[in-house]
Amino acid sequence: MFRTICRIAWASLVRRSSRSVLVVVMISMSLWGLLFMEGIYDGMTEQMISNAIRSDSGQLSLFAAGFREDPGLNRLILQDGQITDCLAGDRRVKSFVRRLRQDGLAATAHYSRNVMIYGLDLATEQRHGRLDTYLTQGEYSFGAKKRGAIIGARLAEKLKVKIGRKLIVSAQNSEHEVSAVALTITGIVRTNNMALDESAVFIDMGKARELFMTPEGVTQVSVILQAEKDIPGVQNTLRRDFPTLEILSWDELYPALMQSRVLMKGFNLVMSLLIFGVAGLGIFGVMLVSVLERLREFGIMLAIGTSFDQVRGIIFTESFILGFSGFVGGSLLGGATLLYFYRHGLDLTIFGEGLEEFGMDVITYAVIRAQYFTTAFAAVMLATFVSVLFPLRLLKKANPIEAINKA
Amino acid sequence: MFFKIAIRNIFAYRKRSIITVILLACTTALLVFATAYMDGSHGRLIQSSVEIYPGYVQITHQGFRENPSLENLIFDAAQVSESLQDFPGIEVLTPRFESYVLFSSAEKAVGGMFTAIDPEKERQVSRLAASLKQGSYLTSTDQALVYMGSELAKRLKVGVGDQLAFVGTGADYSFAADTLTVKGIFQTGLFDFDSRASFVAKPYFDRVMAAENYATHFIVQPVRPAEAATLEVAIGQRLGAEYESASWQQTMAGLVQAMRVDSIFGYITLAIIFMVIFFVVMIYTLLVVYARVREIGILRAVGTGPGQIFSMLLLESVLLGLVSVLLGGLIGGALAYYFHINPIVFSGFDEQFKQYGLALTAMPTDFAPLVILRDMAVMFVLSVSATLYPIFKVNAFKPIEAIHHV
Amino acid sequence: MNKTATDRAQGASVLMASCALFLCCLCFMPASLHAADDVQEIIKRVEDRLNGKTAVLTLSMIITTSRTTRTMKMDSYSVGNEKSFIKITYPGKDYGITFLKIKDSMWQYVPRIEKVIKIPASMMLQSWMGTDFTNDDLVRESSISRDYEAKLIAENNDEYEIELLPRPDAAVVWGRLVMTVTKKDMLPATANYFDEEGALVRTLQYTEVKQMGDRLYPSRWVMTPYDKEKAGNLTIIEITEAAFDVPIDEEYFTKRALKRFSD
Repeated sequence: MFRTICRIAWASLVRRSSRSVLVVVMISMSLWGLLFMEGIYDGMTEQMISNAIRSDSGQLSLFAAGFREDPGLNRLILQDGQITDCLAGDRRVKSFVRRLRQDGLAATAHYSRNVMIYGLDLATEQRHGRLDTYLTQGEYSFGAKKRGAIIGARLAEKLKVKIGRKLIVSAQNSEHEVSAVALTITGIVRTNNMALDESAVFIDMGKARELFMTPEGVTQVSVILQAEKDIPGVQNTLRRDFPTLEILSWDELYPALMQSRVLMKGFNLVMSLLIFGVAGLGIFGVMLVSVLERLREFGIMLAIGTSFDQVRGIIFTESFILGFSGFVGGSLLGGATLLYFYRHGLDLTIFGEGLEEFGMDVITYAVIRAQYFTTAFAAVMLATFVSVLFPLRLLKKANPIEAINKA
Repeated sequence: MFFKIAIRNIFAYRKRSIITVILLACTTALLVFATAYMDGSHGRLIQSSVEIYPGYVQITHQGFRENPSLENLIFDAAQVSESLQDFPGIEVLTPRFESYVLFSSAEKAVGGMFTAIDPEKERQVSRLAASLKQGSYLTSTDQALVYMGSELAKRLKVGVGDQLAFVGTGADYSFAADTLTVKGIFQTGLFDFDSRASFVAKPYFDRVMAAENYATHFIVQPVRPAEAATLEVAIGQRLGAEYESASWQQTMAGLVQAMRVDSIFGYITLAIIFMVIFFVVMIYTLLVVYARVREIGILRAVGTGPGQIFSMLLLESVLLGLVSVLLGGLIGGALAYYFHINPIVFSGFDEQFKQYGLALTAMPTDFAPLVILRDMAVMFVLSVSATLYPIFKVNAFKPIEAIHHV
Repeated sequence: MNKTATDRAQGASVLMASCALFLCCLCFMPASLHAADDVQEIIKRVEDRLNGKTAVLTLSMIITTSRTTRTMKMDSYSVGNEKSFIKITYPGKDYGITFLKIKDSMWQYVPRIEKVIKIPASMMLQSWMGTDFTNDDLVRESSISRDYEAKLIAENNDEYEIELLPRPDAAVVWGRLVMTVTKKDMLPATANYFDEEGALVRTLQYTEVKQMGDRLYPSRWVMTPYDKEKAGNLTIIEITEAAFDVPIDEEYFTKRALKRFSD
């Protein structure tokens, strides 16, 4: 029986082939556009968030009380041994890094600029936030003698320095005296985290400890978790264990980024509704006309004993075939497009300066989420289902006999 | 003749007509409004970031923008003012002198900007006066009274009426220092600006900083801000090679591009919606013309030429398109106008705007009739072209085939 | 938008007290020219001559830019390069402004506002546009003698020419220094400062050697910068009176002194 229904449905779709193809193409195109948009836009926001998380805040950051308002070496996290134990023992934690930051000055024979000096460990940063992937010039190393410095791209421009040049970095140490060190620029990074690109000088943690005269303690512990949903849980654990520290999540440190994400989600939702609403209208029109056209046909079927359920089955099947074909077409198109942009990225170098203003990467890699497809599937199905409800009601109301005599 | 038939047909196939009109009208309204919103918000964002402080056109001494040292000041501010007096297109022209000093209150010493302004004229070129939070704004006769950013005041732990000292370097490289009283505190919402900027009246500044008749730059408020770029060029020609002028498009190039990127993505989004609508219109047209295949067949059989039928069907879609676009344009235009007068308020997005260096939450749409007409034309062409395929398709039937078409 | 404003502000400014600051350091700069072996002896003698255990100086500083020339006069008291006290005596408008530098902390007193201001480290570290000295002159520590490796590169009847290369870990911005030392007086004649690429950045000339206090001393120092942005700039220091290795009242190196010796 089911096969018969399918066959009839298929036959009637084929009969009106150009119409059917149009509907399928329409659904495919809408879906394609929607998927492309979702993937690229999410890619943009997620990249911005990921840049901030990877280069700075982690998903959680620990600071000594008051450090953020008034940073200084007198506000150090001194219990970092305990923190290390606590974080290393927590399965929800994927990685964490310790950083030591102090404001200072970087100078060459010609120029000098205020900078933020970060003492850190390259190997753990690499595992933690893949800091190495931000490298645009030079190498990801402080050299054998740890005398290297990796600096932000904009800072390098302002100081007019190249790889291999000497940079004198000075800062006030914990004894309130100014100490200085000669470093060689080994690498230049562009994180698109503006603050870092403009003023960060990354140096070896050991060198930083020497320079700042702080044998122990760090200014920040940045934590990345296995899963984003664990943020509140881990945050609470840490708050309980270390009540004197300020423990902030990335969205508390970068509220604007969280807002972008919420905004983007809302935007995508509105777009989906709009597109599927319109597409649904298309299916509705086609199904309505096709039911009305075949009132007589259905009348005969009903008269010779076909149950109304079977007729309904035929109509639903038709609608489903249209919707499903459209979904498959759209998913293939959209999926392929997203895959392309996921691999190669969307290159917007020509708008480089503008993107930088937003703190965005020049190349956007699309995000592909299973959820795009499941949501789209549900939406297409819903649209196909809803769009035949009204035609069915018309059919039910129409008297089959009358229908037969009509026309 | 065709016209009458077309009208009759439109009414005969009322459902299709209504749905088509609704769809097209809504889309047109959406496009008109979306464009108005995009242009409006970009305009507003740019306007606000330009008007908070940087200004539409800046005039500096040659070389200052490249190397902002005390060697490259404008040393004859009066002459600049004079040569631009009555210059067409300039609404207000006002000098500023920006310097960097060390502020010292009882609590702390903090470095910050110390800038001389002409309080009255400044009121017309920037939002400084309007950003007043506590106390009051400056007047040109104020002596040793300072108008400072809220965050700077917080860092120095001073309030209105409190005293603080500054030490800095005068325009002649001399030591400059004085005790100031906080007259007012402003908050633009731009954290960076609020945490470093402070202002004093220029006559006082000139005396204490040995900057008589000097300026780091002039700010020009154009009569028509939209023409800042042309005005800048004209000013540059008048002043000659000794000076440099730059419009906000040059001083804030990044922001301009950022807005362009945003527009592009806006248009991509709209294009996707249009594509869907395009197909829906095509489908509906197809449905309607197919329903009339027989009728058309008969018409052909009685001698109507394919060209005539084509014209008739096209006329129908043109009429429908016209009505929809007019209706949509009206609705979209009305919305654009309404929100132009009553800006859309975003509360809760202050942070985001602040991060982009913008301090505002109310977004008026842009009401530009020409742009609305452009959008309507685009929609009209789109709606008519969507009907072409179905019309061709139906016209391709042979008369007999068409009559027997079920 | 603030970026332009900020850059400009920093650019347009000359760091407060810059002149006085650089003085603290300048006096002792040649003292750092320290080397090994034969050359070390030369450098050592130069150092001893220029640098006393203590120094009391009266000097003028003439700062020329492409636009103006400005003269300042001051009295300076210093012990090694650990401590110094400076009082501005000319122009009259600035009379009585005092500076105290102990190690890397610095205070300024301005009579006009009757206030002692501790100059924050961040400010001390600022670059100073407008003067011909880099912050490096300021930031360097007492360990400068460790900073360079000396090599004799030329010699004639009158002068030694010595090349000074910074040791790898020395916190100096220069790529190379070339110094000439007169044989007769064992005093520096010129010092050329090169960047890493070998471009001449600035030249310091020591001229007009006179008997001052217990020794012969170059009384006129001329600093010429070669950076494009500093074209036309010149800084001249004229030492009018000098006494070396004399006891200095410890009272000068207290914060009280800022106000007390301001008159």
